[in-house]
Amino acid sequence: MQLNPIIKRDVRVQSRSMKICWGVFAYELILALVFFLAMIIIKEENQYSTGNIYSALIWLYPVLAVTQLVILALIVPVRTASAISGEKERQTFDIMMTTSMTPFSIIMGKVMTAIIQSMFFVVASMPIMALSFVVGGMSWSYLFWFFAVALLMSFFAASIGILCSSLCKRSVSAVIMAYGFYLIFFVATALPIMLAEYVSYSSSYYFDMSYASGSVLYSYTENFYLFLLLNPVMYLVEFFVRIMSGESLMNGIPHTTSITQTRGPINLIASGNRWLIVSTVLFLAVSFLFLWLAARRINPIKRKAKRQAMQRIAQTAEFAVQQTARQQSPQRSSQEIQSEKAETGVEEKTGQQEQAK
Amino acid sequence: MLRIEHLYKNYGKFRAVNNLTLHIPQGDLFGFVGPNGAGKTTTIRMACGLMLPTAGNITINGVDAVAHQKEIKKQIGYVPDFFGVYDNLKVKEYMDFYGSMYRMGTKEIRKISDDLLELVNLSDKKEVFVDTLSRGMKQRLCVARALIHNPALLVLDEPNSGLDPRARVEMKELLLNLKSMGKTIVISSHILSELSEMCNSIGIMDHGNLVAAGLIEDVMDSVFGSNQLIITLEGGQETAVRIANEHVGAKVTSVGEQEIKLTHSMTKPEIAKMIGEMIAHDVVVTGFHKQEGSLETLFMRVTENEEQKGGQGNAAESNH
Repeated sequence: MQLNPIIKRDVRVQSRSMKICWGVFAYELILALVFFLAMIIIKEENQYSTGNIYSALIWLYPVLAVTQLVILALIVPVRTASAISGEKERQTFDIMMTTSMTPFSIIMGKVMTAIIQSMFFVVASMPIMALSFVVGGMSWSYLFWFFAVALLMSFFAASIGILCSSLCKRSVSAVIMAYGFYLIFFVATALPIMLAEYVSYSSSYYFDMSYASGSVLYSYTENFYLFLLLNPVMYLVEFFVRIMSGESLMNGIPHTTSITQTRGPINLIASGNRWLIVSTVLFLAVSFLFLWLAARRINPIKRKAKRQAMQRIAQTAEFAVQQTARQQSPQRSSQEIQSEKAETGVEEKTGQQEQAK
Repeated sequence: MLRIEHLYKNYGKFRAVNNLTLHIPQGDLFGFVGPNGAGKTTTIRMACGLMLPTAGNITINGVDAVAHQKEIKKQIGYVPDFFGVYDNLKVKEYMDFYGSMYRMGTKEIRKISDDLLELVNLSDKKEVFVDTLSRGMKQRLCVARALIHNPALLVLDEPNSGLDPRARVEMKELLLNLKSMGKTIVISSHILSELSEMCNSIGIMDHGNLVAAGLIEDVMDSVFGSNQLIITLEGGQETAVRIANEHVGAKVTSVGEQEIKLTHSMTKPEIAKMIGEMIAHDVVVTGFHKQEGSLETLFMRVTENEEQKGGQGNAAESNH
C-alpha cells in the first residue's frame, strides 16, 4: 500500500520550514507557563495541608491536557482551512485534480497531514505531561486515552477546517468560516438543553412534555441533553470527570425520584462509558460526513453528471446497435425471401412434375 | 485522438463555448488561437476534466471525458498558464510527488523523471529548490511533470506567457521535439508567429465559436484563396492586365501603381508563359509571387468577420 503522496510531501515540506520549530517552541512555552501556574496554585492550596503534596500533582494531568486540547482546537482548523484554498491560491489545485488522485484521497491527505502535525506537538509535550504521571502517580493508560482524545478532537477540527477550505476561495475567509463553524457547533449543541431547562423551569406543565401517572411525573425534557453528545466541551468534561473521579457526569441526568422519572433514549446512554462511546462514534460520523461533503465539493465532475454521461453513452451504443440491426435486416429478409423462393420453387417444380405425370 | 462534438458551456446566461465540434488526430500539434475570453481555456479545462460541459461530448481515444474520469486522467498531461510552486521542494522531489500521484512505483518514477529532466534540459537542477528556478525553467519542469505518466495527449494553456525570448525558443524546441516523438499536443497561445512555426493545425475561436479549424495550409487557403498571384511591375500595367485577362483561367482582381493582383487556375508553366509574354511586350516585370497570409492576418481576417457578424446580429436584435 502506497503512502498518500500529499502526506509525504506536506510532512517533508513542513519539516524543512522553520515555522514548525517556532510552533513547537510556542506550544512548549505555553505548556510550561501553565505548568508553573498550576504548580503555584497547587502549592498555595496545600500550604496548610498535612497530607502529601505530591498526590495533588495528578491535577496537572487535566490542566495540561485541557490546555493542549484547546491549543489544538485553535491550530488544526487553521492548518486545514488553508489546505485546499491554499492550493487554489498557489494555482496548484488544477494540476492536482488532473492526476489520478481522487478528491477524497486529496482531502484525506490534507487532513492526515494536519493530524500528524498536531500529534507532533502532543508528542513534544510528553516531558511536561510525564510529570503528572511520574510524580503524581497516575496510571500510564490515561496517557494513551489522552492521545486518543487528542486524535479524535484533531480529526473533528480538521474535518471542519477542510470543509470550509473547500467552500472558500481564499484561505483567510476559510479560516474565519472554520472558527465560526466551530463556535456554532459549541453553541448550537448546548442551546436545546439550555432552552428546554429554561422553559421547563418557567412552566413545567406547558412545555415539559411530562404527564402525571398516579403520583409519578414522567419527563422527556432531559432527552435534550442528547444534543450535547456532539458538544466538544461536554465531551472533554465527561472524559476528565471519568478519569479523575471514575464517575460519569451523566449518571445523574436520568432523573429518578419518587415524584419524577425520565423516559426516552437518555436512559440508555447516560450510564457508565456509554455516553463517551456514543459521543465518540457521533464525532467520527460527523467528521467523515464533513470530509465527504468537502470531497464532493472539490470534485469538478459530479456523480450525477457522470451517471448522465454513462446513460448517454449506453443510449448511443444501443442506438448504434439498432441502426446496424436495421441496416442488416433487409439483407436478411432478402436472404429469407430467396430461400423461401427456392423452397417454393422446389415445391412448384415438384407440383408441375406431379401434374405432368 | 481528441474528439469534441457539439460542446456547450454556459455561465449563467453567458455562453462561453457555443456548439464546438473539433477533431484533433494522433500526432498533431494543434494551436488553439483566439482573443481573451474566446473560450479557449474553458474548452481546455473541460477536455481535462476540470469543468463540466453544459452539453456535448468530449472523447479521448474513444473514451468519454465525463463518464470515465480515471481513464482520461491517465491519458492527459495538463500544463496550466500559471506555474504554482511549493516552497521547500526540490526538482527531484517535485517529480516524485507527481509521479506518486499517478500511483507509480518509486523506481519507475526515478527512471522516468531522470529521462524527462534530461529532455527538458534540467538534469543538473535535480537538487535545486523549485521556487529558485527561473520562469522558463519552471515552465519546462511543468512540461516534464505533465509527461511523467506518459500521457497520449499533452495540453498546454498559454505556456509562453511571461517568458523571455530565450525561454520561448527553448519551449518551442521542446514542443517540436515532443511532436517528433509522436505526442499529440494542444497548445493555446496569443503568440501567433510562434504557433505558425510549431503547429501543423489550428483552431481559431472567437466569442465561444470555432470560426476556423484544420491544417494551417487548408485554413489559409480557405481564407485567402490558394490561387492568388501578385506581379510587381515598373510601368506597363495596362498591357500586363490585357495579357493576363487574355489567358484562360486568369482574372485580374486589383491594379496598383507597381503591382497587379490576379486569381488564376493556371499551372506553373502557364504562369511562366504569361510572365514571358508580358516581358516580350515590354512590360518591366520586377517580380512575382503567390500571395501568402500570415497567421496574424488570418486571425485578424477571421475574427474581423466574426466581429461583423456579431455586430450585425446585435444590430438586428436591437432593431427587433
